[in-house]
Order: sequence, then structure tokens, then C-alpha cells
Amino acid sequence: MATEESASVMDDYEMLISTTDVALLKRAWRNEKAAPEILQFESSLVQRIKEQIELAEQNEEIFEANNIEPLTVSLYQMDLDRTQFLLRSYLRVRLQKIEKYLFYVLKTDEYLNRLSKQEQMFARRCTDDLGSHLDETVLAKLPDNYRSILKQSITSEEDDMVPAPRLDTFVICKAKQYLSGLDFEPEYSMEITEMERDLLTFVCYKFVKKPLENGKIDLV
Amino acid sequence: MYARKGYELVKDLANGEKGQLQPFNEDLFNQVVDQCTQHYLELQALIRKMQEESVDVRETRNSDHYGALIHHLSLIRNKRCLMAYVHNRAEVIQNFAWKVGLELLELPEEIQEKLSPSEKNYFGKHSSALQSYMAEVGIDLNVDMVPPKDPYIKVRVLDDMGEGILLSDKTANLARHSMHFLKRTDAEQYIARGLMEELTG
Amino acid sequence: MAGQSDSTMSLFSSEEIEFMAEDEMTEIVPNLRMDSLNFICGDYGPFLPQLAAQVPLWLALALKKRGKCTIRLPQWMSVENLTRVLEAERDSHAFQPLPFHYIEISRLLFDHAREDIPDMYMVRSLVEDIRDVRFHKVETNLEKFTASTVTWKNMSAMEVNVIRAFAGRALQAFYKHDNEQQTQDTDRALDKQPQIPTDRPKRNLKPR
Repeated sequence: MATEESASVMDDYEMLISTTDVALLKRAWRNEKAAPEILQFESSLVQRIKEQIELAEQNEEIFEANNIEPLTVSLYQMDLDRTQFLLRSYLRVRLQKIEKYLFYVLKTDEYLNRLSKQEQMFARRCTDDLGSHLDETVLAKLPDNYRSILKQSITSEEDDMVPAPRLDTFVICKAKQYLSGLDFEPEYSMEITEMERDLLTFVCYKFVKKPLENGKIDLV
Repeated sequence: MYARKGYELVKDLANGEKGQLQPFNEDLFNQVVDQCTQHYLELQALIRKMQEESVDVRETRNSDHYGALIHHLSLIRNKRCLMAYVHNRAEVIQNFAWKVGLELLELPEEIQEKLSPSEKNYFGKHSSALQSYMAEVGIDLNVDMVPPKDPYIKVRVLDDMGEGILLSDKTANLARHSMHFLKRTDAEQYIARGLMEELTG
Repeated sequence: MAGQSDSTMSLFSSEEIEFMAEDEMTEIVPNLRMDSLNFICGDYGPFLPQLAAQVPLWLALALKKRGKCTIRLPQWMSVENLTRVLEAERDSHAFQPLPFHYIEISRLLFDHAREDIPDMYMVRSLVEDIRDVRFHKVETNLEKFTASTVTWKNMSAMEVNVIRAFAGRALQAFYKHDNEQQTQDTDRALDKQPQIPTDRPKRNLKPR
């Protein structure tokens, strides 16, 4: 047991020193793509990556000025291309999720707080635009009591017209370390009690939401 | 049967190919809207009748009550169908901004003519929301839709193309059967014209 | 409007899976001298002729295409190892340990580093056989799903991706049936909704 523990401490340490921002971004991108709901925006990571991309772009100009070998230049270009793709794809998949669950995101503080400032602005504008399109095309033509965009009619107690992310979607995940019952929400203690390290698990998203947020598992 | 038309409207949507749009089915759509109005009129009439008979509208469970309920539920079902129709189309339209282009004029004629005026308007507004996001963040998101490949490829020249051909990063002598390492973007036009082939392995 | 499937959004395209596979570390033997490459994704090199170096697969392939290195075949891709893995795959229900991206890595190497693979045809047919046996196993495993949480050892990226859409829905159904009690409760709550308007639309309608 003791050796296992120290082995995992070693691994964590190695991960800490060897993990580049690109690897972190790739993880964030994968998780974001695989999760049914929008996750916390990785704001400082995105900031660091943007700076590194800018630096790499400046370097390209320097290479050109200094007649560096085309071979080397093309390799740096490929590294830059890969990073830019990851960043763009990460931002894109988030916008697409916002588009899909617009009204839900906007009325749920927890979600709204996960967005970057720019994403929040985007979400607000989109909600207005889609809202007025739905108003104009459908709702204005219905009787007064049925004109809500969020409710079926004024008798609905809840917002029963809003598409919400389905947290019971199944996802495939891998734990980075052994997880015990304490790592999961107590509410799901019947469904999930532990997770072995590195074992692929096909599981209901909501069961593993907590360890995902705590960075203890990755979605694949 | 009540709410049948709404069902047909959604069916119309579901029958289309995923990600593609059929022309906005104005005719059927308006019929469903008319049904909503009709249900509402009948619902009101039943309630007026109950009031005239001085029965307690909130507590009574007579045939008029259940009649009104059915109209209410049919109306809601129709509303959901109408909203599903427009909302799902709006999702496809959002995707055009990613997949086709951000300007309405960039959309091919055959897509444009399938949109209702309000949908065209929505496309324009949504695209400009995307554009201002990109401007705020300083990153163009409408490129790099698929993972990057090596920008250079190996090619073999299939037909004599002559000497000193100007490419974006060099000039090359493209003799027949010679092999070269070219920028993918330079080579693509020649490959398309059958003058070169890409080599793997 | 609610209840649409998210599968299209959460799936990785095969290009994206290949992109991830291209980050796997690979051993190369360069034939040139080149300074360290200080990439955003990490530092590699310096490179000296005949001195083996570890680089990500995409870089290995780029150098290979430019004639600047040979790629060392990963250990797991040797004929001996693949033969052993294939036998074990056939004999057991379990999946044998292979790299998470074994399908993509081997395909990229077959496409771009053919001359560095001794017994290329043998290796390729072994990998294909292994893949077939494993896909078949995935299918039979799906029939045996009995719980709402399913674990797999050693399943690869492409295999995961292929079954994701199908199995996800199947498991969702299992989960639903497992929680029959709960589901019924929500259904009943929904059933109740139509009752509500009988109380209130009328109240709201009265003034008209």
C-alpha cells in the first residue's frame, strides 16, 4: 500500500513538472467535448496559451529575418498550427454548447458563472436574437396566456419549455488515481462506490461530475 | 384529431436530412397557428358557459371543464410543435455560420430561398454576434475546423511542367517523374489538374 | 424541444482522434544535426546523427517525410508481440494491453514510414486481425451489459468511439429501468401538470 501511494505521489509530481499548457488545454478540450454541460472556462490557461501563440508568431518573423532553415521553420509552424487548432476548437465547442442551451445557460447562474466575459456577452446577444426570432415567428401569433418562451402557458409553475443539458448522458472516463466513495456526491453512493485508476468506465455523467470538476478524472 | 397538424409539422422537420433545411412550410405552419386560435376560442366559450351557469369554474369537474382542458392541452401541444419546428431550424441556421459562412450572401442560393424572412434576419444577427465575440477574443474561429496536417506533402510530377515554376516559397523544376516536397496549398491545384500525384509511405 | 441527443456534439471525429494519437511519444534516429526545438508543446532535441531521440509522433512523421530520420518501430508493434497479443485476444474475454491509440499509430506508420517497418505486411495483417477480434469482442460485450456502470480494461480510443453512441443510449435505458421507482415518480409529476390548468387558466381567463 505504502509503495503504491508513493508511486502515485511520484506520478503526480512527474505530471506536475512535465505537463505543458498544451497538454492541459488538450485535456480541457477533450473534457469539454465529451461533457453534456458547459464546464468552467479555463481562463488563465487560455491566457497563457494565447501569449505562447503570440510569442511563437513573433519567433516566426525572427526566423524569416535570420534566414533560418526552412526545415526548422516548417516544424515550428506545425507546432503553432496544432496549438491554434486546439485553442480554436476549445473555444468553438463552448460556443456551440452555449448556442444549444441558450435559455438554460442564461437563467442558470451556476452556468453563467462558468462562462468567460466574452462568452457571457455572446450568450446574452444570442438569447435576445433567438428570443425575438421565436417571438416574431411563433409566440406573437399565439393567445396571450401562451406567449412565454420559457413556459408552456401561464399556468406552468416551472420553466417547462427550456431545453436543458442532459446530465444522465453516459460518458466514458478514466480516473487519474484510485477514487473512493468520498470522491463522489453522497447522493449517488448507491450507484458508484469506487473507481480504479486508469480503468475506462462508462458511466452516467452526473455520477462523476464532482471528481471531474476536482480534476480527478478525465473524459475520453 | 386535435394536434394532428402540429405532429405533421414536426414530422416534416424530422423527415429532412440532418443538418439540411426544407423550405419553411408556411402553409402547414399557419394552419397550426390557426388551430391554436381556434382552441383558445373554444376554451373561452366553455368557460363563459360555465360562468353563465354559475358553476364554480375552479372546482367543478363537469364535461365543460374537461372539454376546456382538452383544448388547453391541444393548444400547448401545438405550441410545442411550432416552437420545436422553429427552434430546430434555428439550430441548423446557427450551424450554417460555422459550416458555410458568416455572411448571408455567402450562403448558396438554394439555402437562402429555404429561409423565411425572420430566419434570414436571425442568421444575420447571429453571425454578427459570433463576429463580435471573435473580435473581442481576437481569434478567428471560422478557420481550422479540422485538425491541421503537415503543410508540406511529397509529390511526383506526372507530366512535364517545365523549369523555373514559381511556387509560394521557391521556384522549382518540375520535370516529369521527378519527386518534390511542396506546400500542400501549392500542390493542390496541380494534383487537381492531374499533373502531380501525392506520395505516401 | 427538450431531450435531444447530444451524441453529435460529444463525438470525436476520426481526424480528431488521429490528432490526439499524433502526440504519442515515438523513438526516432535522426540523420541530421539540429538544435533543440522549443515548441509550445514542449522541448525536443538537440538532434545528432545516429543518436536516438524521443519526439511526438507528428514530429517523427514530419522529419521522416523530409528524409531526416528513421522511425524505430514501437516495441508493441513487433511481429512477436503482435502474434502473442492476437493469440491472447482470441483466448480470453479480456482486452490485451495495447496503446490507447494503437489503431491510429499503426495506420500512420503504415502510411508514412513503410520502409522502417520490417515485415510490413505481416505487421499490418496482425494489427488488422487484432482489431477485428477486439471489435467483435466489443460487440459481444455489449450484449452482456447488465449494470448502469460498465468498466473496461485496455480498450482503445477508436473502440471507445465506435461504441460510444450506441452503448451510451443502451446504458441510459438500463439506468432508467434500474431506477424504475424514481422514473415513475417523475412521470407522475408530469401527469399532474395537465391537472393544474383546470384550476388556473380559468382563474386567469375570468376577467376577459
